[in-house]
Amino acid sequence: MSVVKKVSAESNTTAPWISASQITPWILAIVFLLILPLIFTSGSALTIMNQMAITIIFALAYNMLLGQGGMLSFGHAVYMGIGGFFCVHLMNMIEYDNLWLPLPFLPLFGGLFGLISAMFIGSFSTSRAGTVFAMISLGVGELIAASSIIVVAFFGGEEGIGGDRTMGPSTFGLDFASQIEVYYLTATWLVISALAMFLFSRTPIGRIANAVRDNEERAEFLGYSQRNVRFISFCASGFFAGIAGGLFAINYEILTEENLNLATSGSILLITFLGGVGFFVGPIIGAIVFTLLQTVLSLYTEIWQLYLGTLFVLTVMFFPFGLTGLIAIHLQPYKLGKISILFRPYLHMVVPAVVCVLSLSSLLEIAFHAKHAAIGEEQMSLFGIGFNSHSFLPWMIVIVLSIGSGWMIRRIAPGLNESWDEANYVEPRV
Amino acid sequence: MELFFVNILDGLVTGLLLFMLCSGLTLIFSMMGVLNFAHASFYMLGAYFAYKISTYTGFWPGLVIAPVLVGIAGALVERYGLRRVHQYGHVPELIFTFGLALLIEEVVQFFFGKNQMAYDEPHILDFTAFTIAGNAFPAYKVFMIFMAMAVFLVLLYILTRTRVGMIIQAALSYPNTVQNLGHNVPLVFMGVFGVGTALAGLAGVIAGPVLGTFPGMAAVLGSIVFVTIVIGGLGSLWGALVASLLIGWLQTFAASYNIVIGDVLMSIGFSKPVNIDDGAFRDLWTLTVSQIGPILPFLLMVLVLAIRPQGLFGKRET
Amino acid sequence: MNKPAIELQNLRKSFGLAEIIRGVDLNVVKGERHAIIGPNGAGKSTLFNLITGKLRVSGGSIKMHGEPVENLKPFDISRRGLSRSFQITNIFPKMTVFENIRCGLLWTMGYKYSFWTLVNRQPRLTERTDEILEQINMSSKRNDIAGVLTYAEQRALEIGITIAGGADIIMLDEPTAGMSHSETDYMVELIRGVTENKTLVMVEHDMGVVFDLADIISVLVYGEIIASDTPENVRADAKVQEAYLGSAADAEH
Repeated sequence: MSVVKKVSAESNTTAPWISASQITPWILAIVFLLILPLIFTSGSALTIMNQMAITIIFALAYNMLLGQGGMLSFGHAVYMGIGGFFCVHLMNMIEYDNLWLPLPFLPLFGGLFGLISAMFIGSFSTSRAGTVFAMISLGVGELIAASSIIVVAFFGGEEGIGGDRTMGPSTFGLDFASQIEVYYLTATWLVISALAMFLFSRTPIGRIANAVRDNEERAEFLGYSQRNVRFISFCASGFFAGIAGGLFAINYEILTEENLNLATSGSILLITFLGGVGFFVGPIIGAIVFTLLQTVLSLYTEIWQLYLGTLFVLTVMFFPFGLTGLIAIHLQPYKLGKISILFRPYLHMVVPAVVCVLSLSSLLEIAFHAKHAAIGEEQMSLFGIGFNSHSFLPWMIVIVLSIGSGWMIRRIAPGLNESWDEANYVEPRV
Repeated sequence: MELFFVNILDGLVTGLLLFMLCSGLTLIFSMMGVLNFAHASFYMLGAYFAYKISTYTGFWPGLVIAPVLVGIAGALVERYGLRRVHQYGHVPELIFTFGLALLIEEVVQFFFGKNQMAYDEPHILDFTAFTIAGNAFPAYKVFMIFMAMAVFLVLLYILTRTRVGMIIQAALSYPNTVQNLGHNVPLVFMGVFGVGTALAGLAGVIAGPVLGTFPGMAAVLGSIVFVTIVIGGLGSLWGALVASLLIGWLQTFAASYNIVIGDVLMSIGFSKPVNIDDGAFRDLWTLTVSQIGPILPFLLMVLVLAIRPQGLFGKRET
Repeated sequence: MNKPAIELQNLRKSFGLAEIIRGVDLNVVKGERHAIIGPNGAGKSTLFNLITGKLRVSGGSIKMHGEPVENLKPFDISRRGLSRSFQITNIFPKMTVFENIRCGLLWTMGYKYSFWTLVNRQPRLTERTDEILEQINMSSKRNDIAGVLTYAEQRALEIGITIAGGADIIMLDEPTAGMSHSETDYMVELIRGVTENKTLVMVEHDMGVVFDLADIISVLVYGEIIASDTPENVRADAKVQEAYLGSAADAEH
């Protein structure tokens, strides 16, 4: 909602060509991207940041479909993957066939190949929206993922195909052998793509894509063919997904079937939805949070996918507007100057909520360990405390803690609800 | 020729199994407009429940208890999950069931680990029913055919001869009208979802011993199930049956004939390029039909959609 | 004079075995305000949906300014200068009032599928949108989300979207349905204002509105036009009184 409001505020006739409030977030983002590798200098941090940047582009591209156009795709990895595969082939042509192509421009070609494949598939898949579109996207995605294993010449079969990014003509004296150079290349493409996608949402076709999403019939009676509108959104989304694929090829120098399959398509849906589909920044937040969660959780626990799955299902059920939506609903109390009403109840909620989440996950961890650890390996440790997962006491403690904190939450919740209503109460205009 | 008959029977087993999944999915879709992405996950749950029960009591009680448990799980999912998400529209519903599929796979791994379970057919059916030219046809597959047929007949009876069936049939054709006729729609939804998932569970119970009971079993079948109902036409039970059998036979026949596509191409007049290792189409010459078997259903789907977007038997445009 | 704005010849539409529109002949002259009335189930909405391309015709022809348009897609008909509103409010509920109107302007102002212009940087577009907001007296609601407007406001907004594109034929499907007396009076004045110098075709149940606005009234009963004339003549027509007006007038009091 708030985003929509902001848009209209920008549409005043008196607005200057570019206002400070419009350009500030972008400047901040660029500065942030520039100094980030100075703060986190380790190789693994750079790897994660590169991964994040690529995921952000892909998620933003995905949201052009889901958020802006209302099309749910279960096969969008295909366009990123095909862009990536073509880019690896181009890298190999640079290396072996003397193709002259500076590496920084490679993602553009990834985008073009993503666009071409989207044009081809979109020509029949975008004739409908909703469930039919979702099913076609799934079928086409599975078709291409399954084909990739048997079409060895292009996809490299099960091993995938690899390349070497450092073999191209040197650009500005860079050969992209070091990760930091790749980071700045990726970050540059991130800014370019994000800006382009942001501007796209402000064009006539971007606005009409929204209109078709909300009410395709009405849009048709205003002169727009819903099919054409969806097709154009789909192609644009394929283009940016292809750019992400090109960057993936440069970063990892290998693409496999995994880049095309349902698991990848599904996780981009998860990321975008987690972040919030109704907002431009939603996929960005989703990509950052998801990459961090994935990295951190997989370090500490074997059942991290269970946690992510649970988080996803709970998000769909209780916060369909995602993390960004959760932030956005606080804008109303903030504007009313009543945000401070929420501080105390939130503070009360923090401790039981954290205890509840931690004790429930501890319960899962202990149960998982008790069930699957090798025989004789009964010792485990949680939060630095070592104990025997088969003994009674740790079970007892986490069960009591989760029930206790759950009970506390139930007790505090009505008060929180009241404060929430109070903070959102608008005095009637007299 | 004998191999042909074996394939016909094997394909029938696969096809009917597929239909047990597709029928439930179609019922749910027709009634609620929700494509249950987690449908194959309930099939997996059926196999795992039955396995767990079989470790205590043997195979037969699981045949009844496991589908009931799956049905209850399905009804609970509808009541406490789907109904909540329903207010946001069909796309979030689809996303919800997609998340559910992920979650169920993780939960199953949590309890049972990543390995295949030792879930086997009952001893009483562990013999060869008959042989066709040296190819043994196990009794368990005969049992599967009869089970699937029985399910189909019961379903047919309920849909055409009972009051509940009439409501469901009406909902297939006029989903909005039925809602306005004063039937307890939420209860009907919960029931249909429960029965649909129970059918998937039953398919899991009888397929588990043959196709393997492991955490990836839902993913293996999941996409095929969707492809099947899209080919048959979303919402059409007959379409689901025809498409299930079609795909069952397609896959069985493709898997059993080791024809190299290059030979086919040559036999219709193409000449094989000399330095085949460099050509962009080199795979086309070396692939066998059995290798492309797994992608045939998807190819068929794209083909059908290109020619007849509403599917073979689809009437309603959704 | 000119070719009629809309010309129906022997138009037919069946759903399965039921023939809903049974050979309708109708001429709508350019610039007139034409009302279609008739009892419930007479096929008024079906007739509307046939003309605007929402339904395919079973037989007969539809001509717009002399050119056949039957079975064209809605967007095609819209591009030829016919715009419609709906019986059930049909707006873009998540967008602001301003954006709703702007969506109605984009195609006819030539933006089409453009992805190289930014909508906020088009002074002409913004000006025109604001003019239409002014015309439907909704400038004060400019930045409100359309979904939270009152019913009457949403209906007025829908009229705004419908006329925004500058179509010369405006078709309104029960524009005053469900409104109070004062709201209806307001709506009638609004419609009169925005359809100045345009061809108006409307389906309406409220006889007050019909006799107030329409130059010509056509009466549709069981899929056939039984009368098409000036309000005075229609009022006096015995067939109409028998089939429709008598009972409807009774029902209203």
